[in-house]
Amino acid sequence: MALKLNHIALLILFLTVFQKDSETPMVNDHFKLIDAPEVWSAGQDLQLKFKSATESKPLLYCSNSYGSTIIEPHLENTILSYSIPQAFTKKSGVLRWTILSGASEFNGQITIRPLQETAKIESYLGPPSIEAGGSDYTMLVVIPTDRYDNTLTNQTKVTTHRQFLEQQTSDSLFTFNGFAYQNFYSPRQSGRMLLSSSCIELNSKEYTVVVNPAIPTTFTISENRPHQFADGNQITTFETSIITDRNKNVVSDGTYVEFYITTDENTILKTSGLTINGIAKAQMIHPDTESYWTVKAYVEGISESNEITLHYSQVVEDFKVVFSENSRTISVGPIQSFMGQMIPDGLNVHARWFKNTTEITSATQTTVDGFVIFEFEDHVLPKDNYTIEIETAGQTKQFNAIAVW
Amino acid sequence: MIIGFIIYGISAIFGYLNTGADRSSMLHTEIQKIEQYTPKISWSKLPNEGRPIDDENRKAIENDYLDAWYVMHLSNKTHSTAGIEDYFTDSARQNLYDIIELNATKNIVIESTTLEHHPKLEFFSEDGQLAVITDHDVIEYKRLFKQDEFLQEFKEQSTYKVILLLEDGFWRIRHFTKIQSKPFKPAENQVELVHKNIKGINYYPKDTPWDMFGESFSEDILRSDFNLLKDAGLNTIRVFIQYDDFGNAKVNNKKLDKLKTTLDLASEADLKVMITLFDFYGNYEVLDWTLNMKHAETLVNAVKNHEALWGWDIKNEPNLDFESRGQSNVLSWLENMINHVKYLDPNHPVTIGWSNIESASLLSDNVDVITFHFYEDLSTLEDQLKTLVSQTEDKPLLLGEFGMSSYNGFWKPFGTSDEDQAEYHKTAQQLISKLNLNAMSWTLYDFDQIPKEVVGRLPWRKHLQKHFGFLDKEGQPKAAFQYISSELD
Repeated sequence: MALKLNHIALLILFLTVFQKDSETPMVNDHFKLIDAPEVWSAGQDLQLKFKSATESKPLLYCSNSYGSTIIEPHLENTILSYSIPQAFTKKSGVLRWTILSGASEFNGQITIRPLQETAKIESYLGPPSIEAGGSDYTMLVVIPTDRYDNTLTNQTKVTTHRQFLEQQTSDSLFTFNGFAYQNFYSPRQSGRMLLSSSCIELNSKEYTVVVNPAIPTTFTISENRPHQFADGNQITTFETSIITDRNKNVVSDGTYVEFYITTDENTILKTSGLTINGIAKAQMIHPDTESYWTVKAYVEGISESNEITLHYSQVVEDFKVVFSENSRTISVGPIQSFMGQMIPDGLNVHARWFKNTTEITSATQTTVDGFVIFEFEDHVLPKDNYTIEIETAGQTKQFNAIAVW
Repeated sequence: MIIGFIIYGISAIFGYLNTGADRSSMLHTEIQKIEQYTPKISWSKLPNEGRPIDDENRKAIENDYLDAWYVMHLSNKTHSTAGIEDYFTDSARQNLYDIIELNATKNIVIESTTLEHHPKLEFFSEDGQLAVITDHDVIEYKRLFKQDEFLQEFKEQSTYKVILLLEDGFWRIRHFTKIQSKPFKPAENQVELVHKNIKGINYYPKDTPWDMFGESFSEDILRSDFNLLKDAGLNTIRVFIQYDDFGNAKVNNKKLDKLKTTLDLASEADLKVMITLFDFYGNYEVLDWTLNMKHAETLVNAVKNHEALWGWDIKNEPNLDFESRGQSNVLSWLENMINHVKYLDPNHPVTIGWSNIESASLLSDNVDVITFHFYEDLSTLEDQLKTLVSQTEDKPLLLGEFGMSSYNGFWKPFGTSDEDQAEYHKTAQQLISKLNLNAMSWTLYDFDQIPKEVVGRLPWRKHLQKHFGFLDKEGQPKAAFQYISSELD
C-alpha cells in the first residue's frame, strides 16, 4: 500500500540515478595498463601504473586474504600510479584490484609469492608419548614460514631428523598446502625419541617423544610371611615378578596391580600395589582362624598372574571363661598363641546371650594382654537365666542356664 | 532506614566486585549461540589426510571458522578489533590489525559478508590440534565506503587455504591465504510465465489481517474463503510471510505447516498462490544477508514443489524503504535475494511488488514478472504503463495491488462511498480487460484491526485501510463485489 507523497520522492530519486549513470565514462577507453605484474614477491614495493587520458583520479580497490582497502592515486604526466600498502604486499596469495570509476571496471589480480627462505619453523608434535612395539605413532607437522609469516610454496623440501638410542635417521618431505607432516612409529624398545626438522638452512628446535612400554604381559606372584599361623596379627607380603611388555620393556613405574584373595569361605579380599622397576608389592594381615587362601594378581583389564595357594594354621586351641558371682562380668582368657605366648593384642572375641533361642544381646571386644572382660548392667541385661556363647579364633564355647542377677 | 539502604548498596557493590569469573565462562562452555551469521556451508565429503574426523570436531571447526569470518566482517565495518583474539592466533591477528588501522585512518568502511562456503578438510592432525581446510568458491559480497560515501559493491568468488590450531578451546586461524579470486556473476535464469491471465486478490482472512498464520489459523475459514474466490472467478491469491513472525533465520515449523496447509487448500480450490516474502522486514544491512537467505532457503525449499505455488514476490513495496535505508542498500539486497530465490527454486517466477509504476523498471532485468501497485487515478494508468513498457521491453506485467477504500466518516468526512468503490472496480475491470493486464485487487474483507506496521498509528490512515474490502466486516458483499473479477460482470 502506498502513499502518493512517496511516489513523487521516488520519481525524483529515480531521475537522479539515471542522470548519474549516463555521465559515467568507459574506463577502458581512458586507462591503459602500463605496469601491473601478474606475479610478485612478498614484501617488495608494488605500484600499479596506468596511462590516463583524463585528469580524473579514480580510486583503486584492492583486496587480499585478510581484508580490503581503497587506494588513492598519484597522477603525474598522465600516469596514474597506485602504491599498494605494505599490509597488502607482504602477504602471499591473490591480490585483486579494481579501478573504481563507475559503471565499468578495470580490474585484475596479482599473485604474491612467499619468499623462498625460512625465517621460522613451527612444528606441532602429538601425541607426546607413544607405546613401544611399532604399532603406535606420533605425528610431526612442520610449517615453515618466510619473514612475513607466509607459508612457503608447495613442494618445498623439509628434512626431519630422528634420534633414538644409538640410532639417527633423516627423511625428506615436501610441503603441500603450506605444511609437511610425518608419522613416526614407535621402536620396539621404550625410551625417549628426539625429533627435529629443518627447511632451507633453518633448523627447528628439538622435540621429545616418550616411548612408553607397551601393555604388560603375564607375570608371576610370590608370597612372603613371617610364619604360617593364623594369628590375626602378622602380615603376609605378596610380590610380582618384574612385569614387562612383550618386547621385554619393564612397565612404567606406578602401574597399578590388584591382588585378589579368595578365602575358603569364598570371601574375596583385595589389596593392591604400584610397580617400581616392574615389581609391585601388596600386603594383607593374617587371618585369625585356620584358612586356605587362593591369590591372583591383575593389571586390571590387561594382564594377569598365576594363582598361588596359602594355608594358615589354627593357633588358638582352647581358652578359659570365668564368670563372676552374679555372672554379670565374664572374663575370657588367657588366650595363647602357637608357642604358648599371649596372643597379640587385638584378637576379636564375640559374646552372645540367648534366652531360649532368642538373642538378647551381644558384644565384641578385642584382647588386651591375652584377656577380654565383658560386663553388663541390669538395664541392658535383665535378671534371668541365659545361654551364653563365647567365640574367638574360630573356637566357640557355650554355657547353658547361667543365672544372671 | 536510609542508612539501611546505603549499607545494602555498599554490600551489593562489594558482593559484585567479589564475583570472579565463573567456571563456565573460563572454559567457554556457556551456551551463547545466537544466530547472527548463517552463510550456506557445504563440506566436501572426500576423506582427509591424517586422522579421520568425526562430526563433532568438524562442527567445532565450522563454528569457529565462520565466527572468524564474522569478526572480520565486523572489523571491516567498525574498525573494532573485538573478537579477533578469539579466532586468530597471535601472528595471524597482526595481519588484520594492520589493515584495520590502515582503513581506520583513511575512514574506509567495508560492509561485507559471505554467502556461501564449500570447505574441504585437507588434513586433521593425529592429536586433533591442527586442521587444514581449503574453502572453495567462497561467495563474498562487499560494499565500499570512503569518507561515508558509497563507492561500489563487489561480489567475488574466492578460494582460501586455511590452517587452524586448537588453542584453549578455540579453533583459531593460523594461516589464511586467498589462492583464487574472480568477480562473481550469478547464473541468469529467466522463468517463463506458465500461469498467465492472473485474476487475483490480495488475501487475508477477515479476523486475522497481517496475522494469517497465527493462533487463530482456521482451515474452515480458508476453505470457505477460497471457494468463494473460486466461484467469483478468481484464479490466484497473494499471501504475506512476515519475516520475524516466521522466526527470521530459524523458521518456525508450525507456521511453515500452516503455510503448506494454505497451499493445499488453495490447490483444492484451483487457486494459485503468490507468496510475498520478507513482509515487515526493513533492515537490509549486509551483515543481515545470511540470516535473510537462510530464512528464504527454508521457506522456498519447503514449498517450491507445491502445485499451488504461483511464484515468489521477494518483498512488498521495498521502494518505500529507499529514503530511510538508502536506495542502493535496498536494491543490492533485492538483487541478491532474487538471485538466491531463483537459485533455490529455478522453476517459479520471481517478482517484486513495487508500490508504484515509476519504481517498477528497477531490477526489471532480474525479475521474471514486473509487479506494481496502483492506487492512483485509474485514468492515468494507461499512460503510465506506456512509459514502463518502453523501459522494460517484453517483460510480463502484473498489477499487484489496486483498490479503493469505502470509508466515509469522522476521520475523512468527504471520503468515498460503497458506490464509489463499486464504480472504481467496475472501471478497473474494464481497464484490465482492455489492457489485457494480470491483476490482483486489494482486498477481500473490510478489517476491524490494522497493525501499526501497515500504515502507521494515525487513525485517519487506519480507518481508510479498514474499508478496502469487497465484503464488509460481517462478510456480506458490498456493492463492489460484483466487480471482483471480470467474470461476474
